[in-house]
This record gives sequence, C-alpha cells and structure tokens, in this order.
Amino acid sequence: MLTVYLQALISGLLIGGVFSLIAVGLTLTFGVMKIKNFAHGDFLIVGMYFAFFCHLLLGIDPYLSALLGIPLFFGLGWIIQNYLINPVLSAPETIKILITVGISLCLQNIAVFLFSPDFQRVQVEYGTATFDLFGASVSITRLIATSIAVFIVVALYIFLMKTSIGRAIRACAEERDGALAVGVNVDRIYLIALGIATSCVCIAGALMTPFYTISPTVGVSFTLTAFVVVVLGGLGNLKGALVGGFIIGVVESFGEILMPEAALKQVATFAIFILILLFRPNGLFGTKLA
Amino acid sequence: MSDFILEATNISKRFGGLVAVKEASISVKRGDIVGLIGPNGAGKTTFFNMLSGFMPADTGEIFFKGKKINGMRPSNICKLGMTRTFQIVKPFPELTVLENVMIGAFNTTSSTTDAKKIAMEVLNLVGYASYADMSAGSLTVAGRKRVEVAKALATKPELMLLDEVLAGLTPTEMWSMIDVLGKVRDQGVTVLIVEHVMAVIMNLCDQVFVLNYGEKIAEGTPAEVSENPKVLEAYLGDDYGKPASGAN
Amino acid sequence: MGRSVGFAIYGVIGLICIGLPFFAESDVVVAVMPPGLSGSTLLHIGILIFLFGYLATSWNVLGGFCGQLSLGHAAFFAIGAYTSSLLYIHFGLTPWVGMLAGAAVAAVVGYGLGYVSFKYGLKGPFFALVTIAFAEILRLLMLYWDFTGGPLGLLIPLTEDSWSDMQFMAKEPYYYMAFGLMIFGILATAKIGSSRFGYYLRAIRESEEAAEALGIHSMRNKMHAAAISAAMTALGGTFYAQYTQYIVPDDVVKIALSIEIILFAVIGGSGLVMGPVVGAFILVPIGEMTRVIFSTAATGVSFVALVNSDIPAVEKFAKYLDYLASGGGGGLALLLYGAILIFVCLVMPRGVLPALKSLQSWGKKS
Repeated sequence: MLTVYLQALISGLLIGGVFSLIAVGLTLTFGVMKIKNFAHGDFLIVGMYFAFFCHLLLGIDPYLSALLGIPLFFGLGWIIQNYLINPVLSAPETIKILITVGISLCLQNIAVFLFSPDFQRVQVEYGTATFDLFGASVSITRLIATSIAVFIVVALYIFLMKTSIGRAIRACAEERDGALAVGVNVDRIYLIALGIATSCVCIAGALMTPFYTISPTVGVSFTLTAFVVVVLGGLGNLKGALVGGFIIGVVESFGEILMPEAALKQVATFAIFILILLFRPNGLFGTKLA
Repeated sequence: MSDFILEATNISKRFGGLVAVKEASISVKRGDIVGLIGPNGAGKTTFFNMLSGFMPADTGEIFFKGKKINGMRPSNICKLGMTRTFQIVKPFPELTVLENVMIGAFNTTSSTTDAKKIAMEVLNLVGYASYADMSAGSLTVAGRKRVEVAKALATKPELMLLDEVLAGLTPTEMWSMIDVLGKVRDQGVTVLIVEHVMAVIMNLCDQVFVLNYGEKIAEGTPAEVSENPKVLEAYLGDDYGKPASGAN
Repeated sequence: MGRSVGFAIYGVIGLICIGLPFFAESDVVVAVMPPGLSGSTLLHIGILIFLFGYLATSWNVLGGFCGQLSLGHAAFFAIGAYTSSLLYIHFGLTPWVGMLAGAAVAAVVGYGLGYVSFKYGLKGPFFALVTIAFAEILRLLMLYWDFTGGPLGLLIPLTEDSWSDMQFMAKEPYYYMAFGLMIFGILATAKIGSSRFGYYLRAIRESEEAAEALGIHSMRNKMHAAAISAAMTALGGTFYAQYTQYIVPDDVVKIALSIEIILFAVIGGSGLVMGPVVGAFILVPIGEMTRVIFSTAATGVSFVALVNSDIPAVEKFAKYLDYLASGGGGGLALLLYGAILIFVCLVMPRGVLPALKSLQSWGKKS
C-alpha cells in the first residue's frame, strides 16, 4: 500500500516540473502584461508537433527539437503579442480575454486542419525506460522532462533577477507607467515577455512528446491546469508557479488513486482551484513576480 | 426624533498603520447644506465612504433618520433616502445621459415610463435636458459632474452626499453648478458636500465641518470657521507661522 | 427611420425563415445553393442557427447585459438536456414539463454559482475561470456517474411522431420549435432590456459602485441574471436532446460549446437584444457551409499514413496539398470562427450589429 502512495508521489513530482514550466509562462504573461491568456495551453501543441515532425521527417530527438525550436517558439509569441495583443491592451477586460480565446480556437483548428484530429506519438527507443526507486518505478523520460523544466524555470528566474532585460521586465510588471517614464520600451518588453512565455510552453510540449500523446486539443486542459497552478502560487508569482506546479502534480496523481475513478482526478484539482479563487485570491505566495 | 437627519459619532478608519479618520463626529441638520472641508489628504473621502456605507467604519455609530446604518449595503442606504456622488465620477459610459439618470429614478419606481419622466424632470432642473440623448462617456468633465448630481437627485433622496462636485471646473462651470445645488436645496433635499475649495463652500453652506489629518478640528457657521485659527493653520500651513513638519 | 428599416429587415428575414421548409427542396434552392445544401440539410442549418441564436441570447442576459463573462454556459445546457431526458426515460415525463424542470434546476445552480462567486467578489477573468472549472467538474462527474449513463450518455427511446413526447421523424417540427425558441429568447431579452431589471444589469456592468450608490443591490441582481440566463440556456438543452435523441457529456458540456455560445453573442454584439441572433445568422451558415463544402475531409487519406507512406518526397508533398485542398483534417469552421473573433476584437469590439448601425448613420450623414 505504501508503495502505491510512494508511486503516486513520484509520478506527481515527475509531471509537476512540466506543470511548473507551463505555468511559469502563464504567470509571466499575467504579471507583466496583465493578460489572462486563455490560449496559453494551446501553445503546447506547437512544441509537440514541432518535435513530432522533427522526429518523423528528420529523425531528430525530441530533446534536441526542444532546443532547436526556441527561435520559432519565441518568434510566434513575439508576433502574436505585436499584432494581436498589444493593440487591445487598453480595451475592456472582456475583449482582452476574448482575443486570447480566438487565438486558442485558431491554434487548435490550424492543427486539426494541417495534421488531422488523430492522436500521434513520438516513438523513441527509451520512451518506456524506467528504473526502480524503493519499489516505485521512475520513468526516465518524465524524469528528464521535469529536470529540464525545473532547470529552465530557475534559469528564467536568474535571467529576470540579474540581466538588464530581466530588470526591465520586472519593472513593467510592477509599475508600467514608471517603467515608461524611465525610458523602458514597454511595448518591446511585452513582445519579449510573451516570446519567453510561449517558449516555456512550447519547450514543455516538446519535452512531453516521448511520453505523452499528441492531439490538437490537448492544450485546453493544460490551460486550465496552468491557471490552477498560477492562482495557487499567486498571480504573477514565479516561485509560486514553480512550487504550485509540483503541488498540483502531486494532487492530481493522488487524486488518481484516491478518487473512485482515475478520470476524476481533475475534479480535485478544480475544486481546489475554486476554493483558492474564493478564499485566497492572492494564492499561497503573493502576487509579486520575483 | 432629533432634527438631525444624519448623525455620526466617533467614527474611525485605519489602513494598516495609517489612521485616515480618527473619532470624527458629524451631525447634519435637515434642510441644510453642510460642508465638509479640509486640505488634501485630510480623510474627507474616507469619512464620506463610511457615511455612505461604501467602507465599514472601525469604530463609532452612524445614524440616518434615527436608524443605525453601520454595516448596511449602500443600495439599502439609498433605499432609505441617502445617496452619494463620487469624486472620480462614475457615469455609465455606454448609456445615454437620460438612461444614466433613469437608473437613479428607478429607485422609486419600477415603471420605465415613470423613470423616464422623473429623469427628464431632473435633467430640466439641472439644465441638462438638451444632452439627454448623448452617450455619457462622451461628455466633458463638467457635463459628467452634472450627470453625476442628476443621477443622485433622481433617486429622490432626503440627503445627498456630494464628493467634490466642484473640483476641476472652470469658474463659470462652478457657478452654474452652485446654482444647481441651490435648486437641489429648494427641492427640500439636505446636502452634505465635501470640498477643498474653501471660498465656494463659504457662500453656499449653512454649517461647516473641518477635517485635518483625519480629525475634526472645527465646526460652525462658515463665518465662525473662517475665523478659527486652527482652520487657518491647516489651510495656510507655515504661512501662518507654524513649521510644516507634518505636511503631506 | 433607422429603427423602422431595422424592423423591416428583421421582418423579411423572419418571413423567409418561416417559409423555408416549404421551398427548401424546390428546384430554385437546389440550383442556387452549393451542392448538398438543400432540403433537410438546409433545415438542419436553420435549426442550428435558431438554437445557437437562442443560446447566445440566453448567455447575453448574464454576459452581455450584466457584463459577467461566463465561459461555462455549456453546464446549464447539459443540465437542461439531462434533466428532461432522465425524467422522460425513468418516469415517462413529457419533455414539455421536463424542460421546465431542467430550467428550474439550472436556475438554482446558476443562482448558487452566482451567490458563491459574487459573494467573494469574483469578477472578469476570475468569474470566467470559476465558470469553466464548474463546467469541467460537471463534465467529469457526468462521465463518471451511472445515472447519467457515463461516457455512453443517454439514448432517448424512440417513439412514433408524437407532440407529447416531443419526437418527430421529420425535421419541420423541430425547425419551427427552434424558431419559436429563438423568438421567445428575443422577446424575453427585449422585455428584460426595457425593464428596470435590464437597466439595473447594464448599470452594474458599467460600474458596480455607482449602481450601489443609486440603490441597486448589485449582488442580488447579478444572481438573478445568472439564474435567468441559466434557466433559458437549459431550455435549449432539452430541445437539443429531443432533436438529436442522444446526449453524451463530451457533446453537451464541452468547453468548445461554451465558447461557441459566447462567440455568436460577442461577434453579433453582446448587450444588445438582436446582437447574439445576428451573430448566429452570420456565423452558423459560414461554419456549416465550410463543413458541407469540405465534407470530404472525413473520407480523405489518413494523415499519418500519408506521411509514413513509401513514395517520393515530392509526390508526398503534392498529395499533402491535395489533402489540405479537400479540407485537411477538418476544423476549418472553428478556425474561421476564431479568426472572425480575433478580427472583431481588433476592429469592431462592440460587435457587428453596432458597426452596421454606425455605418448606416454615417452613410446618412455623408
């Protein structure tokens, strides 16, 4: 019995890092642009299909694709911010939400159109490799994904703290007008911020391909999960997103064994989500970016 | 029952370490125009927010027409006959001027026809009937302030709390607004007006309360208050011979 | 003047809608419309227009008039569909009564959801997130529960043509029912819009504080709006269940449905009585025509099979282009919806109807 719980804990931690990486992108968008990006999870499929085709057509390993794809992922975020989101920044809240809903619909259905709604898999030799840890099995691909994800989150944190662009991003997050007054090119910072945000999700998507099925609509549930993590960790809080990702990862995997049916695991997650929104809207760790 | 329509005793508000209002009391006589004045940051708006139910008071009691209104929703207070305007005016920008005022008028009627009639009467009273079909979002500051007063007046209040309806107006606009306020009083409505422009208040009010740093420092007729050294000091600061150690 | 022109246009379109079943299969229609778009297919599209027009109109009470962005209206749709169907299957209760029961259940749920959300001051995106989360929880539970049939859903036992069972072999009765539903939605929201309640909702949308100062109990009115909007949506759910005679959670509670409902309202013009209907009349035909024109997609070659096939790269690419030209893997309708939504957000954020109106008045001035 203990092994079951240990297994659940390990599985949760192994997906938690990926959740963190996805959520970090969302929390950055939230913190810096005050945009609630309902298309966030859909960028996952960009990374997934990129890795899928690199593997299928060119035989490139998904981990390498995650790296190679960064200019594409970043550019996509940059373009979307520049042409679609920057123009509506001063529009009513509803419009800002709906335009991201529109982007979500487009991303999903471009994928359906180009690649069909069928499920795809990236078949790599090490895809099912595991090792034993106190009787629980640890999936190598998940371990790699989570480790890289955590590494990226930490690197992003250091980038925000130590570099001048990072400082400018934080300045925009805290006081947009102040940043503008001291000569920060806010619009440009926004482009960079969404570029980083989409890169995070896309990389997460590519990292997941060795163990996760690809389809045009997988992003939706990750949008929700990312919102749960972000609200839990504190809107716009980077550390909160990192910790929150692991918490939700563990909650879901325990939900899987404790709920009467595995599919209900997300009921637990959403219930936590609603409770946090209602009773602790600033999350567990407050709403400061870094 | 006393002839005071509004009585608040020892009400306070604290934001973290900052005491915004400290045990201030006020009593407003029915039919008067009463001024609440004080320099910027004196706690007038906070005081006002507590009186109108938009902010809970930490201490003290507020009575309107002899009924305790602490903890009541602003909408219920409005139903009792007390309404307010906002310093940063809050028109319903997508609606027309007439519709804005109708929403106030629905306080006493559920019929759209009646509400429209009341709203037109009020707009005539404040001299703004010709703007009835304009969208409220497209008005100038002076226009918005007038609509703000009209909306409040349309609820048929017994007491109106007006938060800086004169600030930001040109002298001409200001005098025409003062004219409106005179008409409001003639309707039998009691008015409590917050203002930091002292000169205007002096001509208009029957009774004046002065707040500074959250404390009431004086009350009386405009003439009495303007003689009060504490008031002069608060307004004129170091010009009156005292170092401005606590300014801002 | 502008008003009467508007009424005339609506009147003509309304008459065409009423008459459509009589000439849907006529030679003229067959000749004019793209292949396949006549007869019962045309009626089916009509039904979808009316149903979605009605659903978007229902959403409009809460999302448009009152400005509370619900992204989970599919939940109320599902509550309507399941309540009436379960009552019919287990107790033989006629769907005419069942639909009222469904509306009542949805109203209570909407009221409760509103109470919880508004009591804790949830607004804008946070209210939207709670509604999505609520709809998702409901979907997962419906997939799990036995009494809702789990993932297999509910099959409504077939009877013969019967008004009392709300079941018909032909499309015409459903067509007129959907039309009636839409007219009901328009009349109901027009009534709400011109009443005190409607003015209150708009005031709350524009500024809750100012509304409170004028004697409007904002929370109570928002809850009423949520309940009414939910109940109306549920009626549409019952109709859908009777029309398709088969409901599954992944059809009736999916996020995509919630989003479609909003799409029509926002693109047409949310907060206006006719906005959602105009949206449905514009978008549903575009979407359905795309589906009909590219209906070959389903029978096309498998995408992976194509990629994996052992033919030269150039030929493979040519085949892939053919595949895309025949509609690719589908999804074009929703892709168009998404693109139109983005366009509307950027260019005419108040929707198509206000844009048309200002175009009309601009045309008169110049």
